Amino acid sequence: MTVVDHDGRSVAEVVVAATPAGAIPGSPPGLKPAVMDQRNREFVPRVLVVGVGTSVEFPNNDTVSHQVYSFSAAKRFQLPLYKGQPHPPVTFDKPGLVVLGCNIHDAMVGYVYVTDAPYFGITETAGGLTLKDLPAGDYRIVVWGPYIADAPASLVRTVHVDGSEPVIARFQLSLGLRARPEPRPRRRDWEY
Amino acid sequence: MGWTRRLLLLGLVLWTGGASAQDRLSVNGDVDLRWVQASGVTSYLNGGLGILRFDPDHEGFQLGRAFLSPTWRATDIVSVHAVIDAYGDGDRNSVDLSEFYLDVRPFPTAPVRWRARVGAFFMPVSLENRGIGWSNVYSITPSAVNTWIGEEYRTIGAELETRWLGASSGYFGEVALVAAVYGWNDPAGALLATRGFGLTDRPSELFGGLGRPPIDFYHEIDRKPGFYGGLSWKHHDWLEVRALRYDNRGDPGVETNAGGYAWRTRFSSLGASIEPREHWTIVAQYLDGDTAVGADSLGAQQFYMRFHSGFALASFEWSREQFAVRYDDFDTHQVSGFYGPPSDQTGHGWMFSWSHRYNQHWQSVAEWLRVASVFPPRIELGESPAQVESQFQLAVRYRFKLAW
Repeated sequence: MTVVDHDGRSVAEVVVAATPAGAIPGSPPGLKPAVMDQRNREFVPRVLVVGVGTSVEFPNNDTVSHQVYSFSAAKRFQLPLYKGQPHPPVTFDKPGLVVLGCNIHDAMVGYVYVTDAPYFGITETAGGLTLKDLPAGDYRIVVWGPYIADAPASLVRTVHVDGSEPVIARFQLSLGLRARPEPRPRRRDWEY
Repeated sequence: MGWTRRLLLLGLVLWTGGASAQDRLSVNGDVDLRWVQASGVTSYLNGGLGILRFDPDHEGFQLGRAFLSPTWRATDIVSVHAVIDAYGDGDRNSVDLSEFYLDVRPFPTAPVRWRARVGAFFMPVSLENRGIGWSNVYSITPSAVNTWIGEEYRTIGAELETRWLGASSGYFGEVALVAAVYGWNDPAGALLATRGFGLTDRPSELFGGLGRPPIDFYHEIDRKPGFYGGLSWKHHDWLEVRALRYDNRGDPGVETNAGGYAWRTRFSSLGASIEPREHWTIVAQYLDGDTAVGADSLGAQQFYMRFHSGFALASFEWSREQFAVRYDDFDTHQVSGFYGPPSDQTGHGWMFSWSHRYNQHWQSVAEWLRVASVFPPRIELGESPAQVESQFQLAVRYRFKLAW
């Protein structure tokens, strides 16, 4: 499974979610707790994908305090000023995109993509993504990434998995990626 | 183990062990020591009309600045900030405040973020003095524009900011509108008329003054509040634009019994900071305005002056080194109210600096500054109106942060 941009380059930090088209034998993988870390005034990872009902920890491993919040419809929450891990995990109980911010550091942006698909993952820079142990059947595959400018409707397709051969799915984006805010060396004169 | 050592150890344990998981109270501190070499006329700060901070009578080892800046996060959305400074230059109070305000930042519940500040603080106009208490993040001495704003302006009042956060709409940027209402800034303009623009890293203190005899800046004279409104735009991580319109709405006809005058001072400022590629930053800012003092009924006798100034700065940052170069241009023009040589200043200056960061605490900065200016009131001091001043400074800074 690869997502490539209009120049054919592999795109990282893209969520891929696969939902079986009909009833499929076998039980889908269970929910695993996830972690959205904070380091050097950035969310790590910047993009996290979790299944509906997953609990996510938000440890702050920075030298400064953070106040994490979301006003996204899929999950509204606020974690008052903290360092370390004083807050209980946040449970994401509705599908949708949750954009994270820090009330002290406006430049911090993170994404939690909450999906009701049983199979999902995130592409890596070179290797794309491999979804393993999918039972045979038809799957509706959705991709999403914060830097993808293509219309969401064009980012859905159906793929048939026959259970014997690996299936290679390739998403080609037609529009250029949105310029991503690359982390630049910052003047760390003061820590607020 | 002696008692002293045991106590010290206990103190250390309490101090570090007391660092809670929240940092409700944190204190940033800085001590900046200088070695200075200067040429030119006596600085305005020492009673002359030179426009740099130091002069040939104030060379050698000097205290650049020492400050403590406590932040107390009273609740999750309310914090109190102060900046307490010492300059060791004989100002009225050896320790004074440059900022003291309450900051309210509710959690956003929509892509729009509100923020309010109440108290005394610097206006959000500089893309150069982004450090604590107006400190310059590129070199030692700020541009003429930002030197002047640090000297004559403090918002003593309330400011409201609304900021659109683009991230949830897929835009990597922000747009903010800011507006403030304030008092106690009626003398703003007096220093510009007396000295013209300067290039110093010596902002005024809330209860101190600048010069010999000192000009005091923070008085309410006409009982009319002033206003500023601004716009800022951040695009991705590499472009930031700030525009601001300032009007202290002073009534130039009002004078106090103590001889204080209300100045009507207005200006517009436009600045941008661009990071065209990694390691490089370009900052430019332009300011244009006017000031008046004395009743309108005086007609041509009313003092009226126009002014403008701009600068461009380039910075290259690589590993622990940072190099910066800046060109400044400044101009004041007195239009009416002549009682002596006109307050007509023209000048330009160059700044070159090299900063080296040893670790998170220690930093050294070498800065060379050269300005050429013409200012007719120097005749009254027996000096030529045209002067070239230069100043070399080597600063050693120690910075720390404590948190509880």
